[in-house]
Amino acid sequence: MLIVMGDRYVRIFGLALAVCYATFIVWLYVRQPQTLAEVTGGLTATVGAYRIDQPAFDDALGLFRREQHEAARAAFERADPAGQDARTQFYIAYSYYRSGWGRVYQDNDFLKKGLVHADKAIALAPAGLVVDDPEISMHNAHELRAEIAQGLQVDASDFNPMRVFRPRK
Amino acid sequence: MRAVTEAVYLPLLFLTVALLGGLRIDDRVTFVPPPLFALVLGMMLFGVLVRGRVLVAEHLMSASRGSLENLNGLVVILATFFAATQVFNLVTPESGLPFLLFNVFLFVLLVNTLAASPDRVSVLRSMAVIVGAAFVLKFVVLGAISDPGETTLKRLMYVLLEGVTLGTLTQPRLHPVAGYLAFATLVLFLIGLAMLPTRSRSVALVKSGE
Repeated sequence: MLIVMGDRYVRIFGLALAVCYATFIVWLYVRQPQTLAEVTGGLTATVGAYRIDQPAFDDALGLFRREQHEAARAAFERADPAGQDARTQFYIAYSYYRSGWGRVYQDNDFLKKGLVHADKAIALAPAGLVVDDPEISMHNAHELRAEIAQGLQVDASDFNPMRVFRPRK
Repeated sequence: MRAVTEAVYLPLLFLTVALLGGLRIDDRVTFVPPPLFALVLGMMLFGVLVRGRVLVAEHLMSASRGSLENLNGLVVILATFFAATQVFNLVTPESGLPFLLFNVFLFVLLVNTLAASPDRVSVLRSMAVIVGAAFVLKFVVLGAISDPGETTLKRLMYVLLEGVTLGTLTQPRLHPVAGYLAFATLVLFLIGLAMLPTRSRSVALVKSGE
């Protein structure tokens, strides 16, 4: 193809190709995608063409409401393999929060993972994310993040025996 | 030089080197931006390439060339610089004493090459030796020391470095693919350097009116 093109067109084509490639490289270094799905998802999200797998999301939501959190997270990950949808990331964070929450003991590993996904949800929706779902108590990604972050902190209130009566959100 | 080489092949080659130079494969894939000293070494290597006439700036950008040609030339120059920087990012260990020693070693080698004012062929040979030696040291020697198993090379290093605590030399364990990927990246870089234009297009000067 390059042989039949004139010099001028080859140069324009080469310039455009180099600029696109360089932009892609900078994007890779900034976003640090881990899988091919994240690369393709990130690129489609950049041009506003990213869509989650809605049936998988609906399945995940059903599992989440039935408190089957591990299965719910797997389904959410399937629905949003590139990790580009703020709402799905919010639910994954919420699921980790509920898995980690305990009346007398909490699992910090779950809470830390929840914090990562809450941060991701906030980053993906810079204008603010509000999830209108009557089944959950926290509707705002910032509120969820604050709750998880507070759970990870160790302070005097952790030793308050009345703490066992606090509600799970 | 054919336009396709200058506009397509060279930028793609060098940008690929820039991409792969920071690629680290472990449990997860990460793209590591170059440390500041890699930028210094990259700039020095760029100086060596210009001084040794491997990269002849006026063949890529000059008043006698059209604006589109100059833009292509600028892309080649920038891509060469970024590739040079990322090559040092690739062959330099990640941390500790080896990081310091490698940087000093590369810095001295580049200063020496700059001072020697070599010609194009000598610079290309010198580049092959510099990146080749750094590759062997990082991916073969340091890789063997950092390997948790007991290899023959590791036992040999124990004997050679008697009295030195190997803990000061060990690096994060390298993924088996890392060495092959690094080798391919360095070969691409050297191919790119060899493909840089050596002569500008011949221009016929015709006196008007004759």
